[in-house]
Amino acid sequence: MRTRKLTDLLPFIAPVHILILSVIVLPALYVAWLSLMQSTFGQAPSFVGFANFRRVLADPAFRSALWNTVVLVMVAVHLELVVGLLLALLFASGLPFRRVLLVCTLAPYAVSEVIAVVSWRYLFDPDAGPVTQLLLSLGLPVLDWSFEPMHAMILIALLTIWLHLPFTFIILYAARLAIPADLYEAARIDGARPWQAFRRVTLPLLGPAIVVALLFRYIFAFRIFSEVWLLTGGGPARTTEVVAVYLYREAFTYNAFGTASATAWIMVLASLLLALGYVALLRKQVTGNAH
Amino acid sequence: MRIDRLLIGLGKGLAVAVLLAWSLVPIAFVVISSFKPGRDIFAVPPRHAFSPTLDHYAALWTRWGVFFDGLWNSLLITAGATALAVIASTCAGYVYSRNAGRLLNGSVLFLIVVRLIPPIVITLPLFPIVNLLGLNDTHLVLMVLYATFFVSLGTVLMRTFIDQIPRELDEAAQIDGAGRLTILRRIIVPLAAPGILAVAVFVVVFAWNEFLFAFIFTGTNAKTAPLVISEMIGSIDGVDWGILFAASTVQLAPVLLFVVFMNRFLVAGLTAGATKG
Repeated sequence: MRTRKLTDLLPFIAPVHILILSVIVLPALYVAWLSLMQSTFGQAPSFVGFANFRRVLADPAFRSALWNTVVLVMVAVHLELVVGLLLALLFASGLPFRRVLLVCTLAPYAVSEVIAVVSWRYLFDPDAGPVTQLLLSLGLPVLDWSFEPMHAMILIALLTIWLHLPFTFIILYAARLAIPADLYEAARIDGARPWQAFRRVTLPLLGPAIVVALLFRYIFAFRIFSEVWLLTGGGPARTTEVVAVYLYREAFTYNAFGTASATAWIMVLASLLLALGYVALLRKQVTGNAH
Repeated sequence: MRIDRLLIGLGKGLAVAVLLAWSLVPIAFVVISSFKPGRDIFAVPPRHAFSPTLDHYAALWTRWGVFFDGLWNSLLITAGATALAVIASTCAGYVYSRNAGRLLNGSVLFLIVVRLIPPIVITLPLFPIVNLLGLNDTHLVLMVLYATFFVSLGTVLMRTFIDQIPRELDEAAQIDGAGRLTILRRIIVPLAAPGILAVAVFVVVFAWNEFLFAFIFTGTNAKTAPLVISEMIGSIDGVDWGILFAASTVQLAPVLLFVVFMNRFLVAGLTAGATKG
């Protein structure tokens, strides 16, 4: 009877699982196998153990890419969080034309990375970009992003914050709206000042949403490729490369499939590590809700 | 007290102005500049009063016919990927919502874990396989890739939305002799429409805008609009900003309007997606 039921249900869940197994899981496992091989075009793969991982981890280009990625993730995701939180509080404090403002805030979500790069390249064009000119006329320093790696990284961070702020904001705003107004009323009656209400009511109750938003963004920001590829291509001289761009070069420019696969699995493992925190948190949340 | 209020109102007004500038200026510059005469695009200081022209659109039409092929490819691929993802996720979400069991619960966890694998990881082995199957540079390969990267989120979302439909409705239909497929089509799909739209918004926006897979898996035949625009940026005879802005506006306008009209479903989907899976 139980097996009959399962075979009844199978046709409904089969499409999803066939897609995921054939497009994601099996290829990812194949990459794991490949990461233990030495392999390139026209050559049979030969087993080399963890040599590819050792080589990647010792490669200065990889180390610099990893460093760039980690700094970018740390800066961009945390700035997004702070700004997203401030926006959520601003919206919750009551705004006229709230729906219109909400839609305007969401607008960058609809924009392709390619179009965003077109726009930001133009705005920050070192010679005549409108933002560059505005900064010059205010006597402020400008971003010389096509020559200065540091400036390029700042522009990439701004761009990625611009694209992903809507996500962080919506998660935090939805969580803020879910806090019952009575709690603020009670806090006010107890004589809490606005800052105290924020510290003792808003922040603790937003805690889970903050962690969820952070983890999602850590995991997704770690994969960053298009913004960097289209803005700087990793240049000048590989100084702005991130891990995904390093992987692309190893695989499709140098045809070094073994080291590319090792890089790929380093990315997967990094995501898994971040996610373990996420799962632990979800479990805590589930048991928390049971009370 | 009144001064306090005034100051708070002023502060909020300023914050809203900064927010609007931040969110909209990068979009507005692309759209407005696409109507600027070429010499005004990089005018120093920026020229805000200009006589609008459609020259760049005309030049786009005559010199970049490939862009319009790209737009057509994007449309086909987006439609295919969305249909595939929505149908697969709705069927699976229905089963996961109405049935429990160790195996089923385990497979939901599996769906969530799979989302951790970065897309670029699987390009490496898929590239030779896609070539071997003769699917390189076809619409089909992008449809399948785009749908696959959203069916896990889609399934979890659909389960959440279908959970809210009372089981008594299915049971009543079951007593009347309706099978699973009939219940799904007649009861679940109409009532879970907001969930279906939420999944559709995610897939449409992703498939219409995606760059990495299109860059790796298409060449000439199935090239999408974002890929053609990226080639305009890297064009060897220098960037023609006017044409680039015109193409960007054409690519951006439909998806922006779509998100504006569907914003409720996008918000519902983002919220449910982040908290449930």
